[in-house]
Amino acid sequence: MLISQLKIFISYLKAYRKEMLVGMIALILTDVIGLAIPWILKQFIDKLPSKPANEELLVFAGILGLAATFQGLFRFGWRKYIFGPSRKVEFDIVNDLFRHFLKLDSSFYQKIKIGDLLSRATNDIRSVRDFLGLGLLVLADCFVVIISCFALMIYISPKLTLMAFLPLPLISILFYLYTKKISEGHRIVQEELANISDIVQENLSGIRTLHAYGQEEIEKEKFEKQNDVYLTKNMALTKLYAIFPTSLSFFLGLATLISLWIGGKEVIAGNLTLGSFVAFNGYLLMLSWPMMGIGYVFNLSQKGASAMRRVQDIFSEQSEIKAPLQGNHKKDFQGELKFQSVSYQYSEKGFCLEEISLKIEPGQWMGVTGPIGAGKSTLFKFPLRIIDPNKGNIYLDGIPIKELPLDLLRKQIGYVEQGPFLFSATILENIAFGTDISDQKIIEEIACLAGLEPDISSFPNGLETMVGEKGVSLSGGQKQRIALARALIRKPKILILDDAFSSLDVETEEKILNNIRLLEKETTVIIIAHRVSTQRFSDQIVVIENGKISGLGSREQLETQEGYFKEISTAQSFQKGLEVFLS
Amino acid sequence: MTELAGENLEERYYDWAVFRRIVQYLKPYQTLALLSILLLLGSSLCQLAGPYLAKVAIDDYIAVGNLEGIDQIAWIFLSILVGGFVFQFTQTLLMQYIGQNVMKDLRRETFAHIHKMSFSFFDKNPVGKMITRTVNDVEVLNEMLTSGLILIFSDLFTLVGVFAVLFFLNWKLTVVICVIFPFLAVATHFYRVRARDALRKNRSHVTRLNTFLQENLSGMRTVQLFNRQKKQVNDFESINRAKLSEDLRALHYNAVYVPSIDVFSALGIGLVIWYGGGEFVQDQIQLGVLVAFVQYLNKLFEPIRDLAEKFNIIQSAVASSERIFELLDTPEEILDPPKVKSQKIERGKIEFRNVWFAYKKDDYVIKDISFVVNEGESLAIIGATGSGKSTLINLLCKFYEPQKGEILLDDIPLSQLSKKDARAKTSWVQQDPFIFSSDIVSNIRLGNNDIEKETIELASRSLGTDRFVNKLPDKYLNSVKEKGSSLSMGEKQLLSLTRALVFDPRILILDEATSSVDTETESMIQNAIKKLVLGRTSIIVAHRLSTIKHADKIAVLKKGELVEFGLQDDLIKQKGVYYKLINFYNHR
Repeated sequence: MLISQLKIFISYLKAYRKEMLVGMIALILTDVIGLAIPWILKQFIDKLPSKPANEELLVFAGILGLAATFQGLFRFGWRKYIFGPSRKVEFDIVNDLFRHFLKLDSSFYQKIKIGDLLSRATNDIRSVRDFLGLGLLVLADCFVVIISCFALMIYISPKLTLMAFLPLPLISILFYLYTKKISEGHRIVQEELANISDIVQENLSGIRTLHAYGQEEIEKEKFEKQNDVYLTKNMALTKLYAIFPTSLSFFLGLATLISLWIGGKEVIAGNLTLGSFVAFNGYLLMLSWPMMGIGYVFNLSQKGASAMRRVQDIFSEQSEIKAPLQGNHKKDFQGELKFQSVSYQYSEKGFCLEEISLKIEPGQWMGVTGPIGAGKSTLFKFPLRIIDPNKGNIYLDGIPIKELPLDLLRKQIGYVEQGPFLFSATILENIAFGTDISDQKIIEEIACLAGLEPDISSFPNGLETMVGEKGVSLSGGQKQRIALARALIRKPKILILDDAFSSLDVETEEKILNNIRLLEKETTVIIIAHRVSTQRFSDQIVVIENGKISGLGSREQLETQEGYFKEISTAQSFQKGLEVFLS
Repeated sequence: MTELAGENLEERYYDWAVFRRIVQYLKPYQTLALLSILLLLGSSLCQLAGPYLAKVAIDDYIAVGNLEGIDQIAWIFLSILVGGFVFQFTQTLLMQYIGQNVMKDLRRETFAHIHKMSFSFFDKNPVGKMITRTVNDVEVLNEMLTSGLILIFSDLFTLVGVFAVLFFLNWKLTVVICVIFPFLAVATHFYRVRARDALRKNRSHVTRLNTFLQENLSGMRTVQLFNRQKKQVNDFESINRAKLSEDLRALHYNAVYVPSIDVFSALGIGLVIWYGGGEFVQDQIQLGVLVAFVQYLNKLFEPIRDLAEKFNIIQSAVASSERIFELLDTPEEILDPPKVKSQKIERGKIEFRNVWFAYKKDDYVIKDISFVVNEGESLAIIGATGSGKSTLINLLCKFYEPQKGEILLDDIPLSQLSKKDARAKTSWVQQDPFIFSSDIVSNIRLGNNDIEKETIELASRSLGTDRFVNKLPDKYLNSVKEKGSSLSMGEKQLLSLTRALVFDPRILILDEATSSVDTETESMIQNAIKKLVLGRTSIIVAHRLSTIKHADKIAVLKKGELVEFGLQDDLIKQKGVYYKLINFYNHR
């Protein structure tokens, strides 16, 4: 199980196999010298009763010093050449993961929360790294040290070895039980912590409601209670944490005690030299690290394995949107869009779009309206292939969009959403986002076209003003206009405005729409909107209700027919009056 | 897009101040903390006793062949083992208990502090940031308390203890060994300065990387629609590379420093062999003492090695605490009046007196507004987008404070009321109501368990909310998903109206929805509103003429100014803006 999961990650290590080899050799040499040091001490102590000369002592000290220096050097070697590659592997995996993220479509991003993805890209990959670096290292280290220590101890005294090792299986048993319980305890504590997070999250998102209803104190109590639960669960886990290392040192102490007790008697009986006795104790002490190390590796490998699984889950995800990488390389698109019996079902009983057929001519302005949740936005996500319909075809200039490479298709269509996503960069960088344009003049012109001029001149650094947390916080309307500029600068053949002016006042909206009309004459424009006034320049308006087209015609035609459009235009005329008379 | 790093790169050298402030949180647990330190002392002593016992065994018993003595030593050793076990176990538990409690205190304080913040704070600070403060940063800080404090005390005890024993065993040899310490100190200093720098930079790159990743994941669709993939990969890799290089730098320092400690330790043992061996030959020192020296030297270097390994933990804990304290030090913007005598709003009269308000300095969005709404009257506020309607409501709820002028409830100035009293008799129905991920009942009464189930059912029946509730499988106990996604817009609005009704307010604030729901739901909502308004003072931010026509008074806002105010009929007679509006509508 673990091995099969390791495979992918080991393949990352391959690129650094030379470094790893150097590291491994350094590690073995470190251990060899480490084992030699108690042996030198043994020789020294056994020599002492014969009253050695000062020079001889100096030789001992010198050998020891030399051994230690080399050990230090080798230890540096493995630290650098085993941990180093593990960091580089982390670097490679994270890069590949990011590349993979860029390939996945929106159905994936709807399935998994961003927080979860982030934690996989950071915490989980760190766990993998730790296992690859520390884990493999400790495993190799333990192997070498345990076997050699054991061999040397048996060489010194088989009987003493047997006796001293008596408590050691207890450590293994203890450890086995411990890891079993601790991962369970960990899971529970993590869940409780997540509950604390959830309370804070909900509180902050709904803080206006909570404060308006004066619920602070009650929320504080709720929070307090959850904290108490967390504390209790945490203390249960702590007991496990406290008992293990403590018992470990207890059992190791027990081994030392046995060696002291039985070994001491052996020395008195003359079966063991004093030097051997001291060396034996030295080796026993050396064993304490690998004994704990095994536990450590066990833990790391458990964490590492589940982390690897979680990372691999992402790597094995594929985009559902299949498009040719190369293909039709048509250059001049006209901007004709055709939907042919397009159907889409959201979920089993969720809403659906049924058999929608619609043709939008090049340069036409098509308005789209309908009640909330009727499927308008979904329908116009199809041309961009953000999602694909279940049935039916969509054609751009008569070519089925499935036959076009994604980048070519998306270059033709400008898309502006109601709540657009801006990056924390300057306004200029945000507008130039999808192009290589760096000419300030062109960007200024586009900003002007999108009606941003008065706003930008009021910002401290103009176009160079940072957006978001580290800069100005923009209003919804400003964000919408920057997003519009970002789409317009690419000179799209088709412009889809999905409720893109909802935060603008009527006056600004009219100005911008007029700019587009006059300056981008050849662009096909699709305007999805609730507000009737937004449709003032639309050649035709399509009404979508319950996933079906319930009306199609010019504004004047629709206003005279009984139906949704007439209803909302009556209801909104008062609002329109407000906007006209009061702004 | 690469500019957002800077923040954490600057050097900060007030670790001590932060540390002292953390220690303040230990005060309520001082007795326990003291006990824990004593236990630590005990366990350190037990640890130190081992090599000494070995020394006694070698010199006093093994060397002279005393078998009984060995048995005795074995018993003493065993009891010390048991003692050490008990001390260490209790100490760990106790320290964790203290740490967990401090964490709880800190969380409580942070949570309460966040609730004290005004809305302008939330406008500036994203939710994610606040969650990180209250959850993750506090968690990291616990690490500092438990590992950090233990590190300091236990290492201190070990260092002092080892020295004391060594000195006691043979002072001359101890002095000789001290030769290595200046070198060790220099090495440690070099390591500390460099490692700290590398770790700090590394951490700031990690933050940058995470921010970049989060931003790109959130804006993935935009990246893909604009064909930006290649550029984003380049940016990402360059940040990742910067992180890797600091990572490797920190690793390099560590790889040099840790082995160097071992070399120093071996030098110490070499000195013991050379000088101590000489002393032994001259019968100045016992063999057991030499063996004990070797073992103690190993123990002496343990704390120092430990420090290098835990350096990273402590560094990030300091960073976390700085962030928490920064939040806790953010002053409360809307303070309750100092001597609060609880006052109840009983009638529900509202008065605005020359109120001015600006979100940004001197950029007034409410300009000199004055009006009165008497008990039981209804007021419709109308105006274009951005005319200040929502701001007016926010001021009335005391979510913001006006810069000039005064708002009075029942003739008491808001500034003399606590926030709690000011809001106690007001219910606010938002345009897009917030639904908590809980069941229907909890969403109606919020946390207020005094409101009984019967009251809730009665209210639901009278507003017609029960019609959709009864269709749910678990009725009132049916859970509603996060952000209420399983409820339709109309249902959410009905739920929020019912919420307002059960709180039985004197003042009702209604933010009418602009978006359209289906006709049937719409008429249900209108009926509910009519019932709710009855006998209460109400303020309605209105978008529909039908709503406005039911109101007693009308306030017409234009760019933050009150252009018209008065009774329906009076305004019609005045033939002003309102009159024109009605005419425009009727003669469309």
